[in-house]
Amino acid sequence: MIAPDALPRLLANPTGRPLTLAQHEETFPATQRGMRLLEELEASGLTGRGGAGFPTARKVRLLREQRSHNKFVVVNAMEGEPASHKDQSLLSANPHLVLDGAEYLATLIGAKNIAVSVARDNPTVVNHLKHAIHERERRGTRGPKFELHTPPWRYVAGEESALVHWLDDNESLPQYRPHRPTILRIGHAPVLVDNAETCANVALIGRYGSQWYRTLGTAQNPGTTLVSVSGAVARPVVLEVALGTPIRTILAAAGADTDPQAVVIGGYGAGWLEGSLLDTPFSNEALAPLGATVGAGIIVVLPRAGCGLVETHRVVRWMANESARQCGPCAFGLPALADDLAHLLQPSRDAIAAHQRLVERCAVIEGRGACRHPDGVVRFVRSALKVFASDVAEHVRGAPCAPSRSARHFATVPQLEHEEELIWE
Amino acid sequence: MLALTSPYFWYTTRATGLVAMVLFTAVVTLGSLVANRVGGTSIGRFELNELHRSVSMVAVVFLVLHILTTVMDSFVSTGIVSAFIPMTSSYKRLPVALGAVAFDLILAVWISSLLKARIANQTWRFIHWFSWLGFATSIVHALLTGTDSRSGVGLLLVLACSLTALAAGLWRVLGRPARAAGRTALSPLAAAPASTRPAPRGRPFDQGSGRAPSAERGRALPQPPTRTSRSSERPTPPATERPNQPPGAFPRVPQSDARRRGRR
Amino acid sequence: MGMRRRSGGFVLSVNPILCDGYGHCGELAPDLVHMDEWGYPIITRTPVALSNLSALESARYAVRGCPRQALRIERVSEES
Repeated sequence: MIAPDALPRLLANPTGRPLTLAQHEETFPATQRGMRLLEELEASGLTGRGGAGFPTARKVRLLREQRSHNKFVVVNAMEGEPASHKDQSLLSANPHLVLDGAEYLATLIGAKNIAVSVARDNPTVVNHLKHAIHERERRGTRGPKFELHTPPWRYVAGEESALVHWLDDNESLPQYRPHRPTILRIGHAPVLVDNAETCANVALIGRYGSQWYRTLGTAQNPGTTLVSVSGAVARPVVLEVALGTPIRTILAAAGADTDPQAVVIGGYGAGWLEGSLLDTPFSNEALAPLGATVGAGIIVVLPRAGCGLVETHRVVRWMANESARQCGPCAFGLPALADDLAHLLQPSRDAIAAHQRLVERCAVIEGRGACRHPDGVVRFVRSALKVFASDVAEHVRGAPCAPSRSARHFATVPQLEHEEELIWE
Repeated sequence: MLALTSPYFWYTTRATGLVAMVLFTAVVTLGSLVANRVGGTSIGRFELNELHRSVSMVAVVFLVLHILTTVMDSFVSTGIVSAFIPMTSSYKRLPVALGAVAFDLILAVWISSLLKARIANQTWRFIHWFSWLGFATSIVHALLTGTDSRSGVGLLLVLACSLTALAAGLWRVLGRPARAAGRTALSPLAAAPASTRPAPRGRPFDQGSGRAPSAERGRALPQPPTRTSRSSERPTPPATERPNQPPGAFPRVPQSDARRRGRR
Repeated sequence: MGMRRRSGGFVLSVNPILCDGYGHCGELAPDLVHMDEWGYPIITRTPVALSNLSALESARYAVRGCPRQALRIERVSEES
């Protein structure tokens, strides 16, 4: 039995290896029988942990209203953000918690199939899931059927519509959805897509109720969340924290630099937060007025020895390459932004013009893609220009900071294999 | 069927055939101009598009006249069926068959374009690429049928049209402005663009990862270290192993409503 | 279409995935569409009154003239 105000919840794992089904049932005994799950879900105020933060109960209600014999629940464990490894950690610790949550959701909406989707580049996690699904099949209850899918890892492959399109048509391409809310479909079957961590939270609420759930966290943002801390930290780590914990406390618990220059918060599609604001509670209600978001629970720590503009350039360059290249403003605009950032970093006469172009292009690119990928990058760039405004001024003047010339980088950005991968004019 | 033996049907069929060939040459040239985004300064791009559409209508009219006069001319016995189905004519079986093939293709392109607003854009584009094949078949039909194309003006005309269309086709594919390299890969002629990512289905946007191919087999990457799948290093130990989360260490935001009554 | 006065407005909306930057819309409806530096359309988001017949006509031409059929006219009611 897990005490309501005890941490960890999601990552509660006494053994250090993924919990087997038997161990899982010991660690998370279901104490509430006959609970009205949907009402508990609504009362808990659970929001999605994939980054968008949409209220889970509302999504479930929307799917319940769909009339179809063949509905799907998709567990999204793709984790497209390179700086995030919370879903992998969760699946390596408590895969059955995630699968339980998916089962609850399937029961709620009347789905007979659950498609668990995890990126194929991490075979350890894939194996853990295979094993867990196999255990359940051996147990042989008459619940919904589990399927494991392993799309290739790309940033946009974790986007809802891209994942569903992969399951439908074998291509991780985000779809154009002008009128929200749109129901995603695999063929004709309506689909409920939820992040793996969200599913795990659903499982906890299904076992212990919303009151238990709300014991931790704030009134507006209840519960706990997993945070991936990387950057200036001894080793990248995943922590489970109650929402509302000050960010600096999280950094201290992670063993990271508690007085950094700035942090990336939310993900590479979110933005930077300056070091002076790190006593802000880690919750959307506190971060929204500052223009930041909890996002996918990512914190990348940039110490004083780093250059925010260099990190931003590296991130934007990679994100530009991760564009699905379906829409012109994204396919051409994002590499142009990366190019401008490169010009801004070099001491040259073009730096001022590059800064101006950067600002203009951000305004032009925003909102003109089918998905929110270009919007995320624009947001990231704008927050960098704001948080590192003094650095920008120095670089433009032709006096780049010392860290910008060092080869030591802090943001986790995968290597671009070939230079030609980026589309340039 | 009117059994007319006037030679004027024969002359008309030859003339309308040549005119149709010239017009279709203009059509494919205009189509290539549109596809390569020509225009915008002295002539509007939409104007070229409208020209392409209008000229194709006129060309189809001449083509229909060419076919009708051939069919109605009883001197050479080709029924209406052989205008659609190849190898059913008793006169000059192969050339007329090629004409039928060309006509079928052009008909498919034409009808799909008339219904453009009602069919999926992908379908329309796929069919539209066959206009090149239709044109090429019609040139071979012209050369093989041979009445005018063996010598003189007729031959010159056929050669000029084929060269123009060939140049237009090559330019269409090779001279594409860089920005237009979007999804023309939907064409049945296009190969998947070169990419280092593994492309299991050869579709334009392949589904590879942004990582080195070795990563697809699960080996470690230079960075980031946390995504490694080496068995010696666990991705991230679960929180219970690390002494960084003792219960109560996290200052909890005080709750105004008393909800701390847990079930113990 | 008649001379009835229509209420409400319309918005020219583009499907960015289908759009391939041909630029015909920018020529046919210059009052509603501008082209960005890469040849893709920037369309005004504010609804235009349906009674503005010239704008509606140019929007219709743009919808018909788009080689990828990426444009659509969407009615926006006055209340929204």
